[in-house]
Amino acid sequence: MRLSEIEVVSSNSLADALNVLHDRPGRIKPIAGSTDAIIQLKDGSLQTNELLDISNLRELRYIRRDGSVVRVGALSTYSDIIDSPVLKSSCGMLVDACKTIGSLQIQNRATIGGNLGNASPAGDSVPPLYALNANVKIQSREHVRLVPIEKFFLGYRKIDLMPDELITEISFEAVERPCDGTFLKLGLREGHFIALVSLAISARWAPEGDRFSDVRVALGAVAPIVFRARKCEEYLRNRTLTDEMIWNAGKIAAGESTPISDLRASAEYRRTVTPSLLYKAVHMLIESRRGWEKS
Amino acid sequence: MERAGLERRFSFRLNGGQVSVSAPPAHTLLEVLREKLHVTGPKEDCGKGECGACTVLMNGKPVLSCLVLVSQADGAEIVTSEGFMRDSLPDRVQKAFVEKGAVQCGHCTPGLIVSTEALLSRNPNPSVEEIKTALAGNLCRCTGYASIIRAVQQAARKDLGAVTQ
Repeated sequence: MRLSEIEVVSSNSLADALNVLHDRPGRIKPIAGSTDAIIQLKDGSLQTNELLDISNLRELRYIRRDGSVVRVGALSTYSDIIDSPVLKSSCGMLVDACKTIGSLQIQNRATIGGNLGNASPAGDSVPPLYALNANVKIQSREHVRLVPIEKFFLGYRKIDLMPDELITEISFEAVERPCDGTFLKLGLREGHFIALVSLAISARWAPEGDRFSDVRVALGAVAPIVFRARKCEEYLRNRTLTDEMIWNAGKIAAGESTPISDLRASAEYRRTVTPSLLYKAVHMLIESRRGWEKS
Repeated sequence: MERAGLERRFSFRLNGGQVSVSAPPAHTLLEVLREKLHVTGPKEDCGKGECGACTVLMNGKPVLSCLVLVSQADGAEIVTSEGFMRDSLPDRVQKAFVEKGAVQCGHCTPGLIVSTEALLSRNPNPSVEEIKTALAGNLCRCTGYASIIRAVQQAARKDLGAVTQ
C-alpha cells in the first residue's frame, strides 16, 4: 500500500472516533503520535486503506490526580509525562522511564497509549506500569472496561484490544511514603537506545525501615513481554535487606527471565547483568529512604 | 479499478506565512514541505525517525517531519530552518554554526539548527550536558559534535550578551 492511497479520517472528539471505529472495525486503524505507525506503513508491516487520526483529540490528553489515583490520558505524550509536576511528585519512575525513550523529537509526538496499542516488546514505559499495577481503560462505542496491565499484554505483540476499541486512560495509585519506586535501563550507550534489560521496582517500606512489606519487580527486554519477577518479589518481601540477600534476589529474578541473544547482547550477558540492575535499584530505594529520615 | 486521487487541501502556518496545499492525506509533512512547497531545509536521510535531519518545529516543539502526516499538521504552526532567517540573512545560531566549523557536508545542519533554536528559546544558557540531551536526536557523521556544541555555546553567549547590553 502506497502512502498516497491511504485515506485519513481526522477525529476531534472521542465519541466521533468511537463511532468511526464501530462502523468500520478492523478496516480503519487508529494512529496517535504515529512515530511507529508511519515507519510500519512505509515498511509494509502495517497494511490498511484507512487511518483514523486521533492525535488532535484533546480530551484524552491530561495528567491529573483524583485522591490517591493518578490518571494519565492515553494521548499524553512522553514530553507531557516528563514535564508533569503531578507525575514528578507521584510517580518519578514513570517520568524516568519516559526520559529514556527516543529523542526529544520522538518524545514530543509519541503517546503512552500509542506505545501500549502498538504492543511493542521494547516499550520502556511498560515495566513501570507493571510495577505500579496500572489499569488500562478501554472504550468502545458500546462499553468501557478496565484491564490490569498484566492482563492487557497477552503475548509477543498481542494485546487485549478489539478493533472497535481505543485505549483512553492509564491509572494507578500514587507512589508516596512509605512507598517508593525506581526505574533502571541498561543500554549500550547514553542517548536514545533500546534496552538490553530494563527494571522497575515499587516497594512499600515496613515501619522498621529495614525491609519491604510489599514489593513489585518488573523486568523488560528479557522475555517475550514485560513480566513480574514474582519469585524475586516473594524472596524480597518481609526479609531484612542485606547485601547478600539483595544479590540473591537479583539472581532469582535473572532465573525467572527468558532472554534471547540478538545483535545488541547475548542472552547470557542479559542474565548476568540483571542481578546488578536489581542490586542497584534496591540500593537506590535505600538511599532514597535515608533522605526521608533526614528531612 | 484505479483509486480516485485522494488529494485534499491542507492549510497551516509555515515560517510565519499561511500556506494551503493539495496533497494525499497520508503523505508525510516532510514530503509535502520538500516536493509541494519547495522548502528544502528539512532533509530525508533515514525516513524512519533515527537521524533528525527532517526536524521542524510544530506548534513550537521540535518533531520529525518524516513521522508526521500532512493531515496531522493541518492548522498547525510549522517552522523549518529557513524560518529563523532574519531579512534573508542567517540568524545568530546559523552564523555560529558557520563560524565554529559545525557544518561539513551540511545534511544534518538544518535539523540541528531547529533543535538548537528550540533549546535556546526554552533554556538561554544551557550546560554542555543539556546541549547534548537536546541534540541527541540529531545525528552528524562528519563533525564529531565538538564544533556543534561550541556553536550552540557561542549562539547562547550572543543571546545573553544581547540581553545584558
